[in-house]
Amino acid sequence: MRDTEVYAMYPFGKGMARHLPFLLLMIPTALYVLFGFGPSLVTVVFSFTDATGIPGTEWHFIGWENYRTFFTASNADDQMKAIGRSLYFAFAVVLIQNAVALFVAVLLNRKLKGDVFYRATLFLPVVLGVTVSGLIWQLMFNPMGGPVQRILKMFGTSSNFFGSYEVAFDLIIFVQIWMYMGYSMTIFLAGLQSIPRDLYEAGYIDGAKGWTAFRHITYPMIAPAVTVNMLLSIIGALQTFDIIYVLTGGKFETSTLAWNVFAAAFGSTSADYGRASAIGMIQFVFVLIFAVTAMVYFRKREVEL
Amino acid sequence: MRESYAATTSRYGVVLLLMVLYLFPLFYLVNVAMKTQFEYLADPVALAKSIRLSNFAEAWKLGNFADYLWNSIFYTTSATVLTLIVSLIAAFPISRGYVRFSGFFYTFFLISLFLPNPLVPQFALMNELGLYNTQIGYILLRTSGTGIAFLLIVGYVKSISRELDEAAAIDGCGYIRYLFTILLPLTKPVLATGAILTAIQTWNDIILPVIYLSDPGLAPVTKGLFAFRGQYLNNWPMLACGIIIVAAPLILLYAFVQRYIVDGALAGALKA
Repeated sequence: MRDTEVYAMYPFGKGMARHLPFLLLMIPTALYVLFGFGPSLVTVVFSFTDATGIPGTEWHFIGWENYRTFFTASNADDQMKAIGRSLYFAFAVVLIQNAVALFVAVLLNRKLKGDVFYRATLFLPVVLGVTVSGLIWQLMFNPMGGPVQRILKMFGTSSNFFGSYEVAFDLIIFVQIWMYMGYSMTIFLAGLQSIPRDLYEAGYIDGAKGWTAFRHITYPMIAPAVTVNMLLSIIGALQTFDIIYVLTGGKFETSTLAWNVFAAAFGSTSADYGRASAIGMIQFVFVLIFAVTAMVYFRKREVEL
Repeated sequence: MRESYAATTSRYGVVLLLMVLYLFPLFYLVNVAMKTQFEYLADPVALAKSIRLSNFAEAWKLGNFADYLWNSIFYTTSATVLTLIVSLIAAFPISRGYVRFSGFFYTFFLISLFLPNPLVPQFALMNELGLYNTQIGYILLRTSGTGIAFLLIVGYVKSISRELDEAAAIDGCGYIRYLFTILLPLTKPVLATGAILTAIQTWNDIILPVIYLSDPGLAPVTKGLFAFRGQYLNNWPMLACGIIIVAAPLILLYAFVQRYIVDGALAGALKA
């Protein structure tokens, strides 16, 4: 049981004064309910209406119509593709980002000349943010003679990069991982640095080195960091769309569910709140399934190890 | 446990590869920014012939970056300060159990991570409240007592002795004064981290400004830079200057505060 669940002795006065912490707590709670939690719940209601962003129009409850349209309309095929891309994006980002981050964290956990600089550099894209990082990679992937095109030319090939139906989405995934690998790595490093050295020395005497030491000492000891990273990256990968906004604007078959929510509600051609909310709910189902599965699985592993 | 020579070499090899992947794009960006449009079109990859700082002056003027930067600074400082205040008044009583159902509040605050994207009803609400396209509305949206700063403070307060609360109370210190004059200085290490992470998130936010700040005069640098890209799509040296104008203050600031972020600070994420 968490120790936050006790109602502790309060030293700062009795009577009315006793309620001061609760009254103050209502300020952040109100902000949260008004702008975060509340709107999240109301999304369910919106998804059953034909509400639009056009001022002065009435809205009505239309039952499951938005969901039916999602699965059966003439563009239902596109929607299925968007679901497929969301899952592809999530799997690719979660697996590659965490695998690379763990590998690099183990690498940097040893004494290296300049290790502080390396860590800071790998975290830098988080600081630069999605707009700057995105534009920098557009410059790198400029089809008109940019550096990457130059390298491809040497191999006798070329690409339109973010303007290509074949590779644009994979490049978005690449930039996403480039941006957030350092974040995952930092969490892994924090976990690694909490492992006492003598554990490895004891293991060494028992013959555990290299991969065996990693498998039986390192990995169990950083289990909480693994859980945190997996959860954060699963949720993040399924919900993110700012990178798509910056790099392709959803064109060239790069739209995902998260992007489609935004595009349906605030896109240049659409202000369909009902449909956007329905897509948001479908996205939510995926987030819930994957996040809960991951949480149960990794928490169980933490206990077993 | 000494490493073999081969292992050390391969470790440095991997690090070198990573550094190229992370630093070359920045180097290339600077190189492009120094070129004339003619130089760039002739050969985008070649080294710039001279250090042309006049490009920056031109981009600064053409892109209205002064206005955008001012907006960003205003949004980021307001949202960060407000976020720290509301995070503190949320985190302290929950961490201590000074309010009933503190465990419930904790879970209640964290659950928003999983919930459906609030964007659409939130937009309708902001419209109803007349907060659409206003600075105060945007700052309110970016102010949250339940985010990363909240989590960090909840974890950190546990390491501060309860006896301090009692001693202060006996000396006649009230709750609010205690929070802001005694506890606040003690939580400086996590407040710094919380402030930096909150500031980074706000400064780099592009989606909410696109939705809520349609007036170009209210746009922060992210949206301004994106608009600049739309205008100068084919003038990459100009665009590179714009990117650097937006990125340079961040890199400079980061050089000073990175130890707060990178060194163990995110361990807070593990404790929470």
